Amino acid sequence: MERDNRMDDKLDELRDSPAPEEGQDPAGGRAKRDGSASRDLYLNVRVLVGMMAVFVLLFTFVARVIVVSGPSMESTLWERDLIFVWALGYQPKQGDIVVLTQEHYQEDSIIKRVIATGGQRVDIDYNTGTVYVDGQALQEDYINEPMRLPGWGEGVNHVEVPEGCIFVMGDNRNHSADSRHPDIGIVDTRCVIGRGLAVLFPFNHWQGL
Amino acid sequence: MKNSVSRRTTWLISVGAAALAAALVRRWQLASAFEPDTGLATPGAQASVILVCLLVMAGAWLILLAMGRGGPDPARRWDMVFVTRGDPVFPVLTVASAALAALAVPVLFVVGVDQFQLYQMAREAGVQPPSNNGMLTLATAAGALLAALGLLQMGRDGLSPGRRGKGGFSAALPGVAGCVWLMESFRAHAANPVQWDYAPQLIAIVAGMGFYMDFAGMSAGAPRPRRLLWMAGMTVILSAAPLATVLAELSARLAVGGSLLAAETGDALLLLSQLLAAAGVLWRLPPYLEHSARPSPEEASIEEEITDE
Repeated sequence: MERDNRMDDKLDELRDSPAPEEGQDPAGGRAKRDGSASRDLYLNVRVLVGMMAVFVLLFTFVARVIVVSGPSMESTLWERDLIFVWALGYQPKQGDIVVLTQEHYQEDSIIKRVIATGGQRVDIDYNTGTVYVDGQALQEDYINEPMRLPGWGEGVNHVEVPEGCIFVMGDNRNHSADSRHPDIGIVDTRCVIGRGLAVLFPFNHWQGL
Repeated sequence: MKNSVSRRTTWLISVGAAALAAALVRRWQLASAFEPDTGLATPGAQASVILVCLLVMAGAWLILLAMGRGGPDPARRWDMVFVTRGDPVFPVLTVASAALAALAVPVLFVVGVDQFQLYQMAREAGVQPPSNNGMLTLATAAGALLAALGLLQMGRDGLSPGRRGKGGFSAALPGVAGCVWLMESFRAHAANPVQWDYAPQLIAIVAGMGFYMDFAGMSAGAPRPRRLLWMAGMTVILSAAPLATVLAELSARLAVGGSLLAAETGDALLLLSQLLAAAGVLWRLPPYLEHSARPSPEEASIEEEITDE
């Protein structure tokens, strides 16, 4: 009871004093000395929490780093390569390497090269291993080996790409499930997460894409 | 006093109305702004545009409210906010928030163990394992436990004001736990090309982290009461939209006979938890933001002196 009364007196005393400004410890100098370790700890934790928030928001809206899984882009990208992907405001262009998701095929994202964009026509000749876009044969120095007929048959090989869509293929043509595969097909550009810009790791694979 | 009451009412009504509107517009967006067959977002959908405008306008309005100062009332100051007795609302809301975070622990733990077992089975069977090995979900469960303990301590501090600091450094615990939850939420949707599916939840978690860290700052010599108030308001509003999403997902899951032991349940509990904690601060803090006098050098700390005794 006596303690309650003393506390009430202290509260009255504190009420009578002027209010501190924002950002200033109302406890004054003494508490600042005693609490400096706690304040430093708090400020460090706040910086770490803030950095985590900024990193995740950057990864969500601006750019991200992903790890390549699977052989479909060999010999441009290899299993476990770490690549930098730009997402903000990206619109797919022919020749770009893109990360995309076709959820009806698999939940994880896949990485492929854009062969044709909306309005272009794609024709694939498996006899010569040539890809034609709008009647022009593509010079594909990046493919791993000459293209053969895939195991699932001809699939999608003569098609006009609708507006807002892209036709993608892996650089390792004979080990890639891509737009030729009936379950993937033409890809809506809204399924594209971003464009691969560079291989970051391992360092001996470092290159711009 | 009248002015103080009206300030609290203004905050509660503003935030409550904006949160309700955000939840309703989000439900409308879920019903109208996505293609039914692919789930892809319709560009320029009316509901999406209105939701963004609503959130921006609510943020701007709360900035104006937080900046505004009423008539001076020396008996009610922001530095007194956590030493005042006789207000059960704040501790009750905070303890309820702790209970919700604690409830999320077993849910997330079971989900994480299931994910881990699935991953192990795939590895043992020699097939491509799923990208999620469950570890981050288990870490989120541990984080939820940490958050519950921190929130419980905040509630205790609220019940025994003056015993400790001005708000409790324990509030930093749910802020730190939010980091793990944020990473898990991003990981769960990293391959999802539809940002509208998950970005609202990420932003709500970030707002909650900021709110908890500002709350902890009140007792760590770095008080920012007006920013804390704004962060608390935005935490409530921003949590309402993803809460509408996860509740819709849970309803759909229940409709097909699915289990409630799902990641969405954990998200719903944690979102509700941070919403209640922020509501507690919105209840307690606004009446104390009336006075703007300069500090005196002789100022003493009531908490320090009481602790010394």
